[in-house]
This record gives sequence, C-alpha cells and structure tokens, in this order.
Amino acid sequence: MPATVSAVLQEQALHIEELVKRYPTGVEALRGVSLEIAPGELFGLLGPNGAGKSTLIHCATGLAQPSAGAIRIFGHDAIVDYGPARQAVGLAPQELNLDWFLTVEETLDYHAGYFGMPRRERRERTRELLETFSLTEKRDERTRTLSGGMKRRLILARAMMHRPRLLILDEPTAGVDVELRLELWHYVQRINQEGTTILLTTHYLEEAEQLCDRIAFIAEGQIVGEGTSGELAARYGVANLEDAYLALVGRKELSRSHIEVAAS
Amino acid sequence: MNAAQIRFSTLWRREVNRFMKIKKQTLGAPLLETFLYITVFGAALGSRIKQLHGIDYVVFVIPGLIMMAWSINAFANNSSSILQQKFQGAIQDQLSSPASPAELLLAFSLGGFMRGLLVAGLTFVAASLLVDLPVDHILVLVPSLFLVGFFFSQLGVLIGVRAEQFDDVAFAQTFILQPLIFLGGVFYSAQLLPQPFQTLTHFNPIYYMINLVRYGFVGFTEVSIALSLLTLAAATAAIFVVNLRLFSQGYKLRA
Repeated sequence: MPATVSAVLQEQALHIEELVKRYPTGVEALRGVSLEIAPGELFGLLGPNGAGKSTLIHCATGLAQPSAGAIRIFGHDAIVDYGPARQAVGLAPQELNLDWFLTVEETLDYHAGYFGMPRRERRERTRELLETFSLTEKRDERTRTLSGGMKRRLILARAMMHRPRLLILDEPTAGVDVELRLELWHYVQRINQEGTTILLTTHYLEEAEQLCDRIAFIAEGQIVGEGTSGELAARYGVANLEDAYLALVGRKELSRSHIEVAAS
Repeated sequence: MNAAQIRFSTLWRREVNRFMKIKKQTLGAPLLETFLYITVFGAALGSRIKQLHGIDYVVFVIPGLIMMAWSINAFANNSSSILQQKFQGAIQDQLSSPASPAELLLAFSLGGFMRGLLVAGLTFVAASLLVDLPVDHILVLVPSLFLVGFFFSQLGVLIGVRAEQFDDVAFAQTFILQPLIFLGGVFYSAQLLPQPFQTLTHFNPIYYMINLVRYGFVGFTEVSIALSLLTLAAATAAIFVVNLRLFSQGYKLRA
C-alpha cells in the first residue's frame, strides 16, 4: 500500500470500503457500502428498519463476518488485525444484551477486564461511570432487576468503560424517557468534544440533526446519501432532514409541511 | 499481568462466577446426587454383592461416580453457559472484545472444567470419609481425570455452540451422554455382562474412561491403560481442534 494512501487510512476513525454482507439464506443485508468517519466526528447513520444499519455495526465490531469488502478502524483491519481494531471500539447495541447473572458493578468490571484494563484502573473507571450514569445506588443489583432505562444507562456505561476512541451507539435513545434522552445527548456531546469519535444510529431525526456533524442515509443495504443535514435537505429539494428522510423512503405525503398545507 | 492475561483471567472468572452464584444448583445438586448413588449402590446393593474382582463393591463403584461427576458437570456447565449467553445476547460483549478465538474457547472450557473438578473433588473427600478409598496409580489417575474433564468441557462447548434452544442441550445430556455413562460400567464390570452386551460395551468410549479412572484408584482394569490414555488424549485434542475451528469461523456465534 502506498505511503500516502496508508497515511490517509490511518487518519480515518472508520473506513469502510465496498462492504457486502450476505447471509446464508441469500439475503444481502449490505450491498457494497463505503463510508468514512474522521476522528472526532459525530456521524449519524439513518435508515428505515432493515436497511442494514445494525448489520454494518456488527461487521465493524466483529459480531458479523463480512462477505466482501474492507473495514479499517484507526488504520487497523477489523478482520485480520482485529485485536487493536476492537480495542478502539465501544459498542452500545440496540438490544439490552446484559448478562443476567452479573451485578451492575460486575458488568462494568468484567467488560473492562475483557479489554485488558488493570484492576485498579477498572475500579476507578467503574466508580466514575456509575456516578456519571446515576447507577451508584444500583451497583450491587443484578442486571435483570433493573428498569429498561437503567439497563440502557448501564449499556452505555459499559461501552465507555475501556475508553474507546470510536463509540458506536445503535439507537441509544430507543424507548427511554425524555429526561434520560436529554442526559444522554449532553453526555454524547461532551465526550465527542473531548475527542471521542461517535457513530450514532437513530430513528429520531431531530436527534441526528441536533447532534451529528454529518449524516448518511442507508436504504436496502446501500448508502444513498451523505452530508450535513442541510446538504441532504438540499439534495432532496426539501426544507429539512425529516423531509429528506421521507423523500428517501418514498413517504413524502407524511411531511409535516405537506400535512399543514393540506389542513389549511 | 499484561492485557492478554487480564483478558483471559476475566473471561475465565466470569464462567466460575456464574456457577458459584447458583451453587445450590451447580454444586449442591450434583453432590447430593452422587451421595445418593453411593448410598443406594454402595450401602444397599453392596450388602448383597459384597465384592467385584476382589474389590469391595462400594469402592469399585466410587471411581466411576467421580468420573461421572466431573464429566456431567463439565458438560452441563459449558453447554448451558454458552447457550444462555447466546440466548441473552450477552455473549456479544465477549465476542466484540479483542479476545482471540483460542482465548474465548479456553476460558469457556475452563469454567466447566473447574465446576467438574470441584464436584469430583468434593465427592472424593466425602467418599474417603465414608470408605477406605485407595489411590493406587496416581500417575494414571491425575492425567486421566484431567483429560476426562477437559474432553467433556470441550463437548459441552461444542453442544452449547451448536444448540439453538435449551431442548438441544437437554437432549444431548439426557439421551446420549447419561446412557453412555450408565452403560459404560460405572456400577458394574463389563466382564459380568452376557453377550452381545459385553462386546457392545467395548464400543462405548466412556467404558475406557471409567476403566482409566478405576485403575488409577483401585488398580483394576479390563482394558489397556496405555492405549486408552493415548486414545483419550487424541480424542480430546481432536475435539479441541474442531471447537477452535468453529470459534475461528464464528459458527453460530457471529452472524
């Protein structure tokens, strides 16, 4: 690989090239996706259910095996050189995939252990994140006894435990109350300002519009649009990101402006 | 400790922590079961049979019970732990970590191995308090028990990875493993069986494992010790290689 190309790839937090994921059933969830996220960026990935968002995330984090294409995380090949690549990533998945046998504190401690963090550092980091996510009082409770909101907090804290350089948040605010959603927004913005690169998927367009530097639309396993929310709106010839999204999924009639005009 | 050592010890600790949190089920129940076998087959049946091949019946039976305790617990622990974690999705936390397939496989395996070791060890201590249990060939006994434990740990991992529902694990344990153990000569000597059952027993791999452990304790065997030990080592290595391949491919673990 030429030195200049290598240097460019090193600079990217996430570099995805022609990624294809074909399941044994024949379903092609990703059909040649290419994407680049720069270090320090807060990047939004939007698309309807089944568009391929979670599959893309699973391929980047080692939970799914790509059929073709390349993924590099801070210059490390996520397939061949998976150790440093995964070390750099923190994943807060969409599902509440907590271990029922563990307490809140153990969940964080074990996760950090899986990433090779020494005991003293684990303890300090656990204390810090329990405090940040208002989980200190629940530290000795088994995860299965937590409410949905508490589980969501814990999953986010777990993803942050090993201080990842790239944080992947797969619909982090799905099903959470307004208070927690705003808390999470503040937290995400803060850690992004501190230098953590963030890939966010969400169905809340105002969330993406408010938080993300750049946004990509994914539909039927392909990236169909990429840019700032203003650029995307301009590309679809509409006023805002929501209308651009509705244009993408072919449901322009649901646009608020369309409904308002019809009502007047 | 370096990062890799911390990672491996955490993965292994998680497996041990899991069975220690439900120890009534994972340690208490198997111990009670083994105690009941000793009582029924040793005290009750033993009063009628007295001796087999010049060995007190209860002493003849105990090595097989120790082997059975280790094998069933190693198998049950790993198969259910992996399936539960797959079911909850919690296994994603380990799978998305920098741990290599070999580290993950060994850590999962050692969980069951440790549970089997604990139950078998406690069975040995309890049995030694009740009867005079000799250890005639410790150099055969220790490697045999360790290989048996590791073999069934691997088997548990294999079934846990392949399983898609709890029924799959229960089927393997109830309809394959337990009949093979019971018919492998835990409670009797195959030489006492009529034909064709005596010959058929020689096709049961568990028969050779029981003989290895029994030889280690009481010095009696119906099979070649060297050949059995070599075959068991080869079978254990083979199943480890198969599992490592499955973990490397992400078979039924990664989409």
